Amino acid sequence: MMKSVMEVLLLLMLFFTAHAKEKSYSPPEKTTQTRCRSPEKETFTCWWEPGSDGGLPTTYALYYRKENSETVYECPDYHTAGENSCFFNKNDTSIWVNYNISVVATNALGRAFSDPVDIDVVYIVEPNPPEKLTVVVMEDKGWPFLLVSWEPPHKADTRSGWITLIYELRVRLEEEEDDWEMHHAGQQKMFNIFSLRSGGEYLVEVRCKPDHGFWSEWSSTSYVKVPDFFSALIFLILTWLLHMNSHSLKHCILPPVPGPKIKGFDNKLLKNGNSDEIFSALVVPNFPPASASKYEEMLVEYLEVYVPEEPELMLEESKDLLDGCLKSLNSRSDSDSGRGSCNSHTLLMDKCGETKEEERQTNRESSLMETQGWKEEAINHDTSGKVKTWPSVYSPLPQYGSNPLDKQSSLETAKQHSLSTSSFLIQPGTKDALGPSYTDFCLSNKENHLHPQTLAHRALQTRSDVNISNIGCKRSPATEYVEVQRVNKEDMVLLQPVVSRCGHIEGCPNLPKGEDYSKLKGVDCDNRLLLQREGTGEDVCPCVEQETNREGGNCYTSSTVSTTQKPTACMYTAMPLQEETAVTLNGYVDTATMGNLPSC
Amino acid sequence: MALKKTDGSKLLMAVVCLVAVCSSVPISDLLDRASQGSDKLHALSTIISQDLNSHFPPIGQEIMPRPSMCHTSSLQTPSDKQQTLQVSESDLLSLARSLLQAWSDPLLVLSASANTLHHPDQTSISNQIQELQLHSKSLGDGLDILSGKMGPAAQTISLLPFSGGNDIGQDRISQLINFNFLLSCFRRDSHKIDSFLKVLRCRATKAQPQMC
Repeated sequence: MMKSVMEVLLLLMLFFTAHAKEKSYSPPEKTTQTRCRSPEKETFTCWWEPGSDGGLPTTYALYYRKENSETVYECPDYHTAGENSCFFNKNDTSIWVNYNISVVATNALGRAFSDPVDIDVVYIVEPNPPEKLTVVVMEDKGWPFLLVSWEPPHKADTRSGWITLIYELRVRLEEEEDDWEMHHAGQQKMFNIFSLRSGGEYLVEVRCKPDHGFWSEWSSTSYVKVPDFFSALIFLILTWLLHMNSHSLKHCILPPVPGPKIKGFDNKLLKNGNSDEIFSALVVPNFPPASASKYEEMLVEYLEVYVPEEPELMLEESKDLLDGCLKSLNSRSDSDSGRGSCNSHTLLMDKCGETKEEERQTNRESSLMETQGWKEEAINHDTSGKVKTWPSVYSPLPQYGSNPLDKQSSLETAKQHSLSTSSFLIQPGTKDALGPSYTDFCLSNKENHLHPQTLAHRALQTRSDVNISNIGCKRSPATEYVEVQRVNKEDMVLLQPVVSRCGHIEGCPNLPKGEDYSKLKGVDCDNRLLLQREGTGEDVCPCVEQETNREGGNCYTSSTVSTTQKPTACMYTAMPLQEETAVTLNGYVDTATMGNLPSC
Repeated sequence: MALKKTDGSKLLMAVVCLVAVCSSVPISDLLDRASQGSDKLHALSTIISQDLNSHFPPIGQEIMPRPSMCHTSSLQTPSDKQQTLQVSESDLLSLARSLLQAWSDPLLVLSASANTLHHPDQTSISNQIQELQLHSKSLGDGLDILSGKMGPAAQTISLLPFSGGNDIGQDRISQLINFNFLLSCFRRDSHKIDSFLKVLRCRATKAQPQMC
């Protein structure tokens, strides 16, 4: 009773005061915008918007009712979630249950009930934004990309599968506001962003949403700066290009000054001042060629033969002339024997000047005639196409078809042979005898230079023909092979016959056909080996008989002459050795090493 | 002849079994597929509800029956996270299957009444209901296969008969209201199914945390 009276009095007083102050009080307005949210489907919070309070202190109360009961409960917690809110903790939260919530505003003058709201917690899930957003600039084959990673909000229980969250990113350049690039990331917690601008500064944000809920707020922004890869790359490329082309650039910009440089010239020596040493470097070794032994080496395996025109002439050889010729020949000859012989030819011509002109002519004529015949004969015997000691005899006639290849090679070697041999062809005997021979020889040698094969061969033929037809030696020895027994003190080759199957029969049937051998026809009185031309038998030279120790000198039987090619033509060679022994290792006479031939 | 036949059939059986075993999909994949299906189902139902509520008479909200009147409310389901996580896998699957099974008939009713619904979005609603039906069917089949791999407890289904019959109302308002109510029941139940399956999925793929 007293209380109610007091209340009425109070109200009247307020009324009067308000009225006195021209102010009105009213009951509160009902609250509006009741909004509830659950961040993790385990708790939820409701907020309301208070209305006008009516000028009076107003209190708010939230009441809720669950769907299966009529019990009205009041909000357990008004403070955790802030002002005008109600927080429902785990114990007070049930899911798949409808809550009927209403807020009551109360002031001194009245109450106001808000519109009730039906909520089911599972439908109001709005998680917190993702946490720990990290953005790292990575490189993929030289191009940068952003590796963005984050974690779900710590309250959301995604590990048990209670909440399934899906994420979304947004990126933009700092200078481009509101131009966000959205990326849907699904359930994954990391994402790569490509197509970046080098040197740009980017802002990255992420948010999440439960499978049947609301999107969270955007996370806090992550700032990242992409290094200037592009310009760095350009810089690197340029540097690399410069480095690669540094030499050519250097040459372009600073062309090198050519400096004089003499091969073998040591500048340091020059500084030292010893002129001998300096110029020794300039001296080309082995020039001009000095040693005669070189020639001999060059003329290895060449048979040095000479063909005397007439046997009588051989007897009357002029030693001096020979020596002179030989010496000149030797001195002038070099690797190109033809040349040497040409030079010596002039010399020889001078020396041979006193020859019988007539004799020469006649001889030549006869020899020429005989040459023809000989030629034919010679050709007939060229069955095997082997290169003989007079290779030119056979070589220039291609229609007598030997193996062309062989011929070719034989031609070459024949050339060599003829040239080389011609250089050493000497004419023993008197001036007279020598004259025509020499002339012929010399001429042939000269012409050798132009037509080496034909002329030489003709000349050689001539000689051979003459020699054969005019053989004056009495003997008709058997043909056989010999080998060098030893070389005696006087540098004479002592020969001994190889096992010979033929006796003193003309036309030995079983001529041993060693490839590198030429049969010795005989030895003339002056110790000259007469070699036999190889043949099928038509023109078999009479065999040479063995003889020893004749006339003080040593007349020896045939010797085998080994050459690289196959010397076959019968020829008459004078092969007494000089100072130098020319015995090769295999016991054959190496004519190449022979120097001056003595006069017979 | 008969012997041969039996031998042949045995061989055939053996081959089929072998093939079945060899081509069996792991449970985690099956669960993943199922949860995707349930997710789709719930999403559809949400869309339909939203369409329906866009042009719903305000009075309907007030006189709408309570969700507790859903025919599946008798089924005891966990009501919070703690409870849910304590339920065994088999039970969870059983619950999901039961709920889904309970809606096979009501969905037919919904589908039928959607054709005559007095609503501006009636055609789209009707189409979506059809889709809902299909999804529900395929999910049911998938869950049946799953249950076969998860033991006998998963095989049990609680029967939840629908007593609404084919009639959802005489007048337009009641039709709409009933339709809405049914749909809301379905929406919740589909959410339950979805939640259960996703919990199961997470449990089955312990080695792949990215699935959760």
